Amino acid sequence: MGSSLTVVRAGASARAEPTGRSVSGTFEQRRRRVGIGFVLPALLVLAAVLGFPIVQSLLLAMQHVRLAAGHMHVRWIGWENYTDLLADDSFVLALANSIFFSLGEVVLVTSIGLGAALLLNHRLGRFGILRVLLIVPWAIAPVANAVLWKWILNANYGVLNAVLKSLGIIDHYVVWLGEPMRALTLLLLVDVWKSVPFIALLFLAGLQRIPRILYRAAVLDGANGWQRFRFVTLPGLRNAITIAVVLQTIWSLRVFDLVFVLTRGGPADGTVLLNFLAYRVTFNFLDIGSGAAIANVIFAMSFLLAILYIRLLQPTKREPAS
Amino acid sequence: MSALRGRLGARLGPWLCDAGVIVAIGVFVVWSIAPLVWLVLSSILPQLSLIARPPQISPVHWTLDNYVTVIGSAAALGQGMLNSFIVASFTTAVALALGAPAAYALARLSVPRSDAVVLLILATQMLPAIAIAIPLFIVIARFGLIDTRLALIIVYLSFNLPIVIWILRGFFLGIPVGLERAAAVDGAGVIRTFWMIVLPISVPPLCAAVVFAFIESWNEFFFALILTRQNAETVPLVIAAFAGQYQTVFGQMMAAAVISIAPVILLAILSRNHIVRGFAEGMLKG
Repeated sequence: MGSSLTVVRAGASARAEPTGRSVSGTFEQRRRRVGIGFVLPALLVLAAVLGFPIVQSLLLAMQHVRLAAGHMHVRWIGWENYTDLLADDSFVLALANSIFFSLGEVVLVTSIGLGAALLLNHRLGRFGILRVLLIVPWAIAPVANAVLWKWILNANYGVLNAVLKSLGIIDHYVVWLGEPMRALTLLLLVDVWKSVPFIALLFLAGLQRIPRILYRAAVLDGANGWQRFRFVTLPGLRNAITIAVVLQTIWSLRVFDLVFVLTRGGPADGTVLLNFLAYRVTFNFLDIGSGAAIANVIFAMSFLLAILYIRLLQPTKREPAS
Repeated sequence: MSALRGRLGARLGPWLCDAGVIVAIGVFVVWSIAPLVWLVLSSILPQLSLIARPPQISPVHWTLDNYVTVIGSAAALGQGMLNSFIVASFTTAVALALGAPAAYALARLSVPRSDAVVLLILATQMLPAIAIAIPLFIVIARFGLIDTRLALIIVYLSFNLPIVIWILRGFFLGIPVGLERAAAVDGAGVIRTFWMIVLPISVPPLCAAVVFAFIESWNEFFFALILTRQNAETVPLVIAAFAGQYQTVFGQMMAAAVISIAPVILLAILSRNHIVRGFAEGMLKG
């Protein structure tokens, strides 16, 4: 737990040391009583909504489930659903697609988001209207976004073809979503377009938390622009970057709407991501046990990647010197 | 501030660097806005202009016909907007009512093992929706709540509550302890302090949390796809169905999309400053 908490804690630890520990016992006890009363309702609701489904999902993944005549017939099969997945070509393909998609998304979104945040934090970029630009793509529903891009990428009448042709970049209209790798890459780019704004906002918020005085001190020490970026900006953004990478990993593994609207997994399963595969296996093939197993794989991947990234990005925790 | 500025700046003078920044901003603006411009533009162009090669976009063709047709013919869109509005409003309100006290307690009220609780709450967000969809469906069907707004309101709490708790807890952690001590010295109890002192200074993160939760609920697709049929159908489902059904009537499709996103876009634009501040003061600490 320790290192994961760095994210949770780090920003605040400097300013908000343990609350009122010095205050007398009865006061403290009262606060604790009220505190438990404050937390319980939320926890109970979360447990009620999520508790049973989580347990059930773990159990379903260990069962062979058949739907017949409106009844579920279940048979306990242990880890078979998971081992079957490894031998399943469509799972392996979806896994590869998801890894490509997720890595690409994290790298692109974080770097473009960082660049955008630096621009908007620059003296020439501090206009309210530019922030509106960040807000809008974030607020658009993923489904509406997918519908929009389906139209932009339309092979016969899409504006992307029209623009590229009139610029002379292509000489005939391209079927953008017609070929597996190209379709997956475009899906990735569309999701990057949609995801950059939120991460840029997060970075912008992070940049504004870096005390100005550090930059002045760096200038006095003779630091050039790159050094100021490397030794003041980047460390100052460490928390924001960790949060961005973790969130983006989780979100990229959950992408569903885009695939559902844009390609339905085609062509040739080239854009089937794990989440979509879990949906298809569960609701189209009605193989509920196997679908649950895939879902749990996604959960495990999110969790492990999140922990891995937090460890990688928060190394200073273990060095008392910093 | 950027690497560019340092290296080039030393040799070629700061003006070149400024020019670079302006070009970069320009590229960023075009990249962000071009798809949106096309969204709005194609919603006000007739079909014939859209299927021309290249599309005829001159203002002489502009028309609101697509909107008139969509509003007139697609009753589902209106129903979907209403459903989305009700679901998003209620789930956000409940998430705030339950989440704000919880966030305060987890930040301030020495709840036992509060760090572990926070971690647990955040970990639930790594669960893909599909993992809980089937069991949720079974439970909700048993209660006879399939295709009701109530089901969505409850299910959406599963991601809205954690969002609210996360943003607000981060903010509460940063409030100077002296403020609450002063209130305690003046004889205010914990609940009174929370209500009279803490909440009033928490407007930006509260706004950020509300807007975030509302937008996430308005846009949610997966649970709505599985848990509703027709009565409780929300806007994203209507748009997806519309896009499947009328996928060659491009202008109307875009008009429907514009209508469906307009409310949340407005909300986001109006509250943009609160959102940025709320993120800065809430999320980055939480």
